[in-house]
Amino acid sequence: MQEILTVGSPKLTRPITNPKVRVPLIEMKAATKKYGNRAAVSDVTLVIYEGEFVCLVGQSGVGKTTLIKFLTKQESPSSGSVFVAGRNLADLRGSELPYYRRKIGVVFQDFKLLPQKTVFENVAFALEVCGVARADILRRVEKVLDLVNLGRRKNNYPNELSGGERQRAAIARALVHAPKLLIADEPTGNLDPVNTFEIIDLLYRINQKGTTVILATHNRQAVDRVQKRVLLMKSGKLVSDQKTGKYVI
Amino acid sequence: METFQRIVKLGYTNFWRNRWLTLGATLLMTLTLIMISVSLVLSLIVRDLATTIRSKIDLTIYFRDDAVSDGDITALGDRIKLQNGVAEVSFTDKRAALSIWNRLPINENIKRPVGESYNPLPRSLQIRTTNPDNIQSLITTIAIQDSQKIVCNECVSYSKNKETVDRLLSITKFVQRAGLFLSVFFGIIAVFNVMNIIRITINARSDEIEIMRYVGASNAFVRGPFIVEGILYGVLGTLFTTIFLLLIAYLVSSTINSVFASFGVDFFQLILVNLWTLIGIQLAIGVLLGVIVSSISVRRFLKA
Repeated sequence: MQEILTVGSPKLTRPITNPKVRVPLIEMKAATKKYGNRAAVSDVTLVIYEGEFVCLVGQSGVGKTTLIKFLTKQESPSSGSVFVAGRNLADLRGSELPYYRRKIGVVFQDFKLLPQKTVFENVAFALEVCGVARADILRRVEKVLDLVNLGRRKNNYPNELSGGERQRAAIARALVHAPKLLIADEPTGNLDPVNTFEIIDLLYRINQKGTTVILATHNRQAVDRVQKRVLLMKSGKLVSDQKTGKYVI
Repeated sequence: METFQRIVKLGYTNFWRNRWLTLGATLLMTLTLIMISVSLVLSLIVRDLATTIRSKIDLTIYFRDDAVSDGDITALGDRIKLQNGVAEVSFTDKRAALSIWNRLPINENIKRPVGESYNPLPRSLQIRTTNPDNIQSLITTIAIQDSQKIVCNECVSYSKNKETVDRLLSITKFVQRAGLFLSVFFGIIAVFNVMNIIRITINARSDEIEIMRYVGASNAFVRGPFIVEGILYGVLGTLFTTIFLLLIAYLVSSTINSVFASFGVDFFQLILVNLWTLIGIQLAIGVLLGVIVSSISVRRFLKA
């Protein structure tokens, strides 16, 4: 379990050897975040297991992004604790943070691609900054671009791609580190329904290969399509947890 | 090694990609270095002038014709030469004094009565010291030992020159201090401008920094390219400043040389002789400033 916090093998997926043994990947215990007197996240306790696909739903401003920021350690809870792979993130030192983040893939609504780099370069950049050797980069980027079906567009710049393609490029970049956890924060927010389903299907396939996926969204169709566990947030609180749910407010 | 190459390449690429912003930063860096260089050159000129002025302070002792023989004077000259702080002693006999008299730019009617047949011009010893500050104590020593032989105290040229020389030295000191003050003042303004524009260039790339951090770049990797850019600001700033300095020195050299003609200052030569020192100082300040400002500016993106 501690493997997530160390630099591991460049394998893209980890097969689930025994699906019946459920290993907690994320544990939140009474996690609360306050900005002044206002609580963005209030007393959230949850467990997410390895290999799960979890939809985190709720209207805008209910605290989904703050909860995700706990996991990327952009924010720390004012009280309570957050464990990832058994490690309390509060104990994570600054120098360990880059290595921790290399094990988590994050995808955003606005893609966050570098406009002056091609698709290939954008994905390769994630490995370059970590000091991966050139030959290894070529191999891993080609592989992950094939996975997201962008092999033919690898030499295009982001502004030459459709919204769906840009998001797939962003997913490829998030996956190139072979993370155990993929967090997608409103990944379909800027996409039309066709592209939305394309991205959701891709996330589903990635999950099928063993990566734990957390999808934060307020898109009803996206949630209903995957038929997976749904965590509903309201006013910073976790108000429902359905095993194979639909988006119900 | 591969990581180091990537950092250097990224810094270099970013530098050219944001060329308008980096050009602004480089020009401000150049301005800062020009301020500092002008101050340095000014102090070089003043130092050169001061040395020339001080070397012109000499001591001339005139001797009565009836009180002392040529042999006694040269013997006194040899004794003085042995004293501390004396650089050179030369003897001017009556014939040499006459030839100096004949070369003086004064009215011929005044000059004419003095000649081989009537030569009232006194013999003298010219003394140059290593440090003009020693002259006063030297005068005291000579005056006590040989007062009867000397024509008069007023005839010691030092007394006449001292006031003028002191005034010149105090003016050069004032110019030096004023120059330093102005350079520091403008230098501080320029440093703040450099800081601001480097911050703007870094802020403009906050998205890139954010992405680097999301994909797990270490702080050193995020900071690295900006430090490379800081070094480039310093190096290019030094290059532009040196070109500017040489150009200005070449253009104004003849004017400055004619102003200080009597002191034998060659402005362009002065710059050339000290060029490597100037480049070294500019490079050190420029690179240090670029690196420090870049590091400080990028630091606020590295928290959390």
